Amino acid sequence: MTVDPADTHTDEALVQIRGLTTVLGGRAVFDALDLDIPRGRVTAIMGASGTGKTTLLKHITGHMRADAGKILVDGHDVGALSREELYALREGIGYLFQNSALLTDYDVFENVAFPLRQHTRLPEVLIRNVVLMKLQAVGLRGAARLMPSELSGGMARRVALARAIVFDPGLILYDEPFVGLDPVALNQILRLISTLNRTLGITSVLVAHEWAAVSRIADNVALLATGKVVAQGSPQAIAADGSPWTRQFFGGEADGPVPFQYPARDFAAELGFAGVAP
Amino acid sequence: MSQPRSSYALGTGLFIVLGFAALAYLATQTSSIANVHQGDTYALEARFANIGQLKERAPVKIAGVRIGQVQSIALIPGSDVADVKLAIDRKYQDIPRDSVAAVFTSGLLGDQYIGIEYGTAKQALEPGGTIALTKPAQQLEEMLGKFFGAGGVADNLGGTYTVSASFTNVGALSPGAPVKMAGVPIGVVQSVRVDPLKLDAKVILAIDKRYDHIPDDSAAAVFTSGLIGTQYVAIQPGGSPDMLVQGDEMILTQSAMQLEDLIGKFLVNGAPGEKPATGAGKTGSRQH
Amino acid sequence: MSRQRPASSGLVAGTLTQIGACGLFLLTLLAGIPRSGRYLRETIRQIWFVGAMSLTIIMVCGLFVGMVLMLQLYHVLSIFGGTSAGGMVVALSVYRELGPVVTALLFAGRAGTSITAEIGLMRATDQIAAMEMMAVDPIAYVATPRFLAGVIAMPLLCCVFCGLAIFGGHLVGVTWLGIDNGTFWSNMTAQVDLRTDIVNGVLLKSLAFGAVVTLIAVYQGFATAATSEGVARATTRTVVASSIAILALDFVLTAFLM
Repeated sequence: MTVDPADTHTDEALVQIRGLTTVLGGRAVFDALDLDIPRGRVTAIMGASGTGKTTLLKHITGHMRADAGKILVDGHDVGALSREELYALREGIGYLFQNSALLTDYDVFENVAFPLRQHTRLPEVLIRNVVLMKLQAVGLRGAARLMPSELSGGMARRVALARAIVFDPGLILYDEPFVGLDPVALNQILRLISTLNRTLGITSVLVAHEWAAVSRIADNVALLATGKVVAQGSPQAIAADGSPWTRQFFGGEADGPVPFQYPARDFAAELGFAGVAP
Repeated sequence: MSQPRSSYALGTGLFIVLGFAALAYLATQTSSIANVHQGDTYALEARFANIGQLKERAPVKIAGVRIGQVQSIALIPGSDVADVKLAIDRKYQDIPRDSVAAVFTSGLLGDQYIGIEYGTAKQALEPGGTIALTKPAQQLEEMLGKFFGAGGVADNLGGTYTVSASFTNVGALSPGAPVKMAGVPIGVVQSVRVDPLKLDAKVILAIDKRYDHIPDDSAAAVFTSGLIGTQYVAIQPGGSPDMLVQGDEMILTQSAMQLEDLIGKFLVNGAPGEKPATGAGKTGSRQH
Repeated sequence: MSRQRPASSGLVAGTLTQIGACGLFLLTLLAGIPRSGRYLRETIRQIWFVGAMSLTIIMVCGLFVGMVLMLQLYHVLSIFGGTSAGGMVVALSVYRELGPVVTALLFAGRAGTSITAEIGLMRATDQIAAMEMMAVDPIAYVATPRFLAGVIAMPLLCCVFCGLAIFGGHLVGVTWLGIDNGTFWSNMTAQVDLRTDIVNGVLLKSLAFGAVVTLIAVYQGFATAATSEGVARATTRTVVASSIAILALDFVLTAFLM
């Protein structure tokens, strides 16, 4: 896939999701979900835990297949691609894992160089220059020879980000990039995401819970609940929306449209008060 | 990363070389390959009436020293003689023409090999020549007594007739054991019972009707096939003009012998008292 | 991605499911061989990890197996006055059975578990998923090189094991117990056959065991539930399943090869 970063047709969606339905373990994670991710923008996908935000990212990369519906990434139907085409598509997508997912066998430099070595036959000098450039961008050029086990969580995530952008992808998917970071590291990551988006025009999809962080960089926020997009718009618009979904989510109410109780039988019946139950 | 990578390659290379070195060691030093002399060999031939358990690649020895190995064993077409080709090391050129090749056994239970006993002739055997004088493999049975034979139970397609014989001791003889004459199965043991009056073992033999010319003074003996084989009844023909018929009793019998008795008979000539018997028993009885 | 297990199905059905899944995984692995041609370096690296790193335990155990075997045999054989056959019996039993089986069991414990744990951890920390996201085929990059490395390393390890066992037997038999050196070797060389004992016994068996152990190890690694508890369970299953598979396969191979 070649996504031209300079292309700033903001109306045109880079990723179009139509009628996505997925059932996992007997539970419908997505129920005819529709979502557009505009090109060149930062889109945040929010929602309570277990609403399938990460699963949605995995659908976009073709890592998981939908039971019904369509996902178009730059016009390609992900579900219909062959293995080779899918791999070709993935080369144009960066993916930042929640736990960084650095290869523990290799040091920082080799982790960043890994995609280059796998997909190109560049001379060693060029690989070195590209890798150092990316590491410089995330501020870790000095840590090139450290092993992943020697890195803090924030550093590891920055290395993973350097690895995700080593091919200058047109689309980067961030899976919970802010979890477990101290304020300093969180600000560094925030700045990086925003810089990558503003300067290179990389379309960014962000899965996160941290409203404060998201509201600072996201152009567009989609709120997932019960397998659907229940609210969508700019952070300001979402915050002012006032629907029960957004109220519960941003107001931090324990019960609401998303029930506090996991679906269960009638409580009285389960406790054995047979007379109460019908 | 190029640094650790090359050290993996080096270490892996060393490991693979070590593995193959071990394999080469096992294959060449501990297997029969070690016995294959790299040097040239020349062929000799020898014909045996019986090669016993001799196998290809068995050693050929002179005075116990290995000088070559058995190349091939084949039956000469149209005869019952085994043709054995030997590959002899070139170092051992001067084997006299009248040497004797014999099939020997290493120990009681060991493998068989060919031993060459030097002759006295001036001329040596030519490569490709034939060792004229041979001794066949000695069967254990022959060593212990000429009347021992081997083989299965006779088929009794032609019907049988039964005779009885009494033994003071039948050893481990059981119904179904073969009855042999000259080593050839001619019938089976039908039953083994104790006679309630005479207190000895009464054995009923079912003999194939084809063998109806057995003299009525023939002797029946309980023998063992080999040292640790099963027991059977051997019949040694007598000289009487009258033949055994259905229901007769064989008078002359020889009971089962313990290995100790057998060795004792040969060595000390002291056999336990027995009924009149033939064969090996004579050696003992003559001394009385 | 078979995360769901047959919850309450019986032991037999569960075992059959595992065997079936393992067999299908073998096909996936074999199909990955052409694609993993470009990962030759990775295969070499894995031969180092599963093969060369197992050398110490294999060598020490081989030595002691040979020594203890000779010691036992000496006492039994001396009853029959056949101590000179000691070297031969050590060689034959090591080549035909003990070498391949013990090496494979040790290999399962040393290399098999580490393969399972490594791949399981890679799954638990999303490294496998990351590879897929980076358009690197985890079967071709992770599974097949380890499988090939195991298949290559096992026979070599087995040869080293057997060599050390013979050395141990020689040490005890000849150096300590006084069996004649010449008889020791000549009895051995007279009875050990290159084809039936070394090729069929040492090489073929260990090749088959290497394939089975690494197949199980790699499969269990990929089938791990992506948690630390899952990794621990998968490692245990690798040892149990490998050991049973080795001994069962040993019986089948012995029946066919002898």
